[in-house]
Amino acid sequence: MPRLRYRPRPLPDIPPKQLTKANLASVDLDECIARLYKKELLAESVIEAICAKTKELLMRESNVVHVQAPITVVGDIHGQFYDLIEIFRIGGWCPDTNYLFLGDYVDRGMFSIETISLLVCLKLRYPDRIHLIRGNHESRGVTQSYGFYTECVRKYNSANIWHHFTDLFDYLTLSVVIDNRIFCVHGGPFSLVISFVASLSPSANSYLPNPGLSPSIHSIDQIKVIDRYREIPHEGPMADLVWSDPDPERDEFSLSPRGAGYTFGAQVVKKFLSVNNMEHILRAHQLCQEGYQTLFDDQLSTVWSAPNYCYRCGNMASVLEVDTDGSRFFNIFAAAPENDQVKDMQMADKMNPGGEPGALPDYFL
Amino acid sequence: MHPPPPPPSSTRTHTQSTFRILTTKLPILKSDPIDALHARLGIPIPEMIFGDNLLSLTHLPTNWSLSFSAEPALDLVDKTGSNGSMLRVAYANEWSATREKTSSGIKEVVKPFDWSYSTTYKGTEVKGKGGKCFEKNEREEIPLELLKRRDPILFHDEVVLYESELDDNGISALTVKVRVMEQRMLVLCRFFLRLDNVLVRVRDTRVYVDFEEEKVVREWMSREDKFENVKKNLYMSGLMPDAITVALRDSNQVANLLPVVEHEVESVSLKSG
Repeated sequence: MPRLRYRPRPLPDIPPKQLTKANLASVDLDECIARLYKKELLAESVIEAICAKTKELLMRESNVVHVQAPITVVGDIHGQFYDLIEIFRIGGWCPDTNYLFLGDYVDRGMFSIETISLLVCLKLRYPDRIHLIRGNHESRGVTQSYGFYTECVRKYNSANIWHHFTDLFDYLTLSVVIDNRIFCVHGGPFSLVISFVASLSPSANSYLPNPGLSPSIHSIDQIKVIDRYREIPHEGPMADLVWSDPDPERDEFSLSPRGAGYTFGAQVVKKFLSVNNMEHILRAHQLCQEGYQTLFDDQLSTVWSAPNYCYRCGNMASVLEVDTDGSRFFNIFAAAPENDQVKDMQMADKMNPGGEPGALPDYFL
Repeated sequence: MHPPPPPPSSTRTHTQSTFRILTTKLPILKSDPIDALHARLGIPIPEMIFGDNLLSLTHLPTNWSLSFSAEPALDLVDKTGSNGSMLRVAYANEWSATREKTSSGIKEVVKPFDWSYSTTYKGTEVKGKGGKCFEKNEREEIPLELLKRRDPILFHDEVVLYESELDDNGISALTVKVRVMEQRMLVLCRFFLRLDNVLVRVRDTRVYVDFEEEKVVREWMSREDKFENVKKNLYMSGLMPDAITVALRDSNQVANLLPVVEHEVESVSLKSG
């Protein structure tokens, strides 16, 4: 059973300037990271340079990145910067602790820019110590509706840095495998199986034992051939990886009443793990009051890392610590105390994420 | 030495004249209560479900009350999708076209229901002594001019009942707020739905209480319009594209732009004799 294992740690010492390994001509990455830890914004030109450099780095990553335990896996953050810092305080600072983030860094919370700036700088500084998977909110379309775009325009007076970041999002990897036994993705891997059949050419389809009838391809290798350097589409394998949800009441895939998308059931998970010789699926994407949820006889878990989501849900959050023996431990935490400092702003902001903070509409009609 | 301050209570009450107002605000439900609610209602529960939250208004002499909570509101959501209310996301046709061949292997289909969680909830009424309850009264209206006055607000609160992001296709939210002044009070329970590139819907229940007359007026107003019309109207009102994006998240900015599709007024007099 998960239990609270709170281990507060101080901020790491920032190494002296001459030790900086960054290749960026005029950007001192360690200084950027130090500023971001203090929640200071970076200059637009610095963001531009960092995003360009990170793109080059991410371009070399496969759609399926293989990593080794011990590693701490983090679910949705959604711009809750103080809670991200709380995660480092509890789980250890980068690079002393290895991190895998499962996506949804921006939107909803008040500090999407600070959050994504810090994570990108850490990725660039310690590329093998921190991994960032793409979530459904790392998209141009979604960030225009749910706050990140508005926050960029408000804090930088232009949409330029929104363009820098959303262009970078196109390069984020789609999945990570820990020690060949835990498959990690933002939403779920399975519907990929179906849609991949659709995306194959007709001739390729004929190689399938029963083309178009059964979702029969289960291999993770199929993820590797997706062309991921693009906006997340509404349909197809990429959409499925970042959007699908489990349904504990069902065995197979179920179509959504919305007219698009579907859920996956227990048998789908079982088959996927058996075909790929894996033990567990780890994903984020769904809010849970307890901060985590395990389903299907512990074959799948959801990790949620935004406590008191949207500053009003009152939920717990967790990070999942995976050890070298494959054991998994949910380290549960509540909202960082610093959130109280900006409570009033959050109150005003809550129905209008990313917007200009204003007075409460007391005299509503 | 000062003792530590007591933890903030989840329930607040205020009594004004013969009425008592109560609000309860608690975290979203845990997974077991969500499963139980799912079983009772027979439909999946929105991801942000404040199942313990409550706003209630009680007339103390007669025990008449009107309360707002999530479960009875969700109970009024169309659970079969049979009455023609079924909405589809903007790209549904595109989606099913590409899946036509491959989806045939999927045998299970989620039971249709109104996944936009549109509700016709106007609050839960408990009759008062002598069977007093709301009756239709189209001549009655809520005195907006009196409510526009900046009378001191003695008690106010806002309670979220449920909210869903509709898997990034918009927003669906039911919230209720209250403000109490010396002579009168107003409750607004608002259902707001924005289904991106499809439609915008606002369903308001306003409850007005005149403390001296001990009279309660309840007004129900349902408004909706196509998404493109709302966008066009916001543009016509002089907003720049960035401001339109913001406005589309704010029910206050769009509500008055939407044509009224349903309107109904009821009232009840609770004064004795």
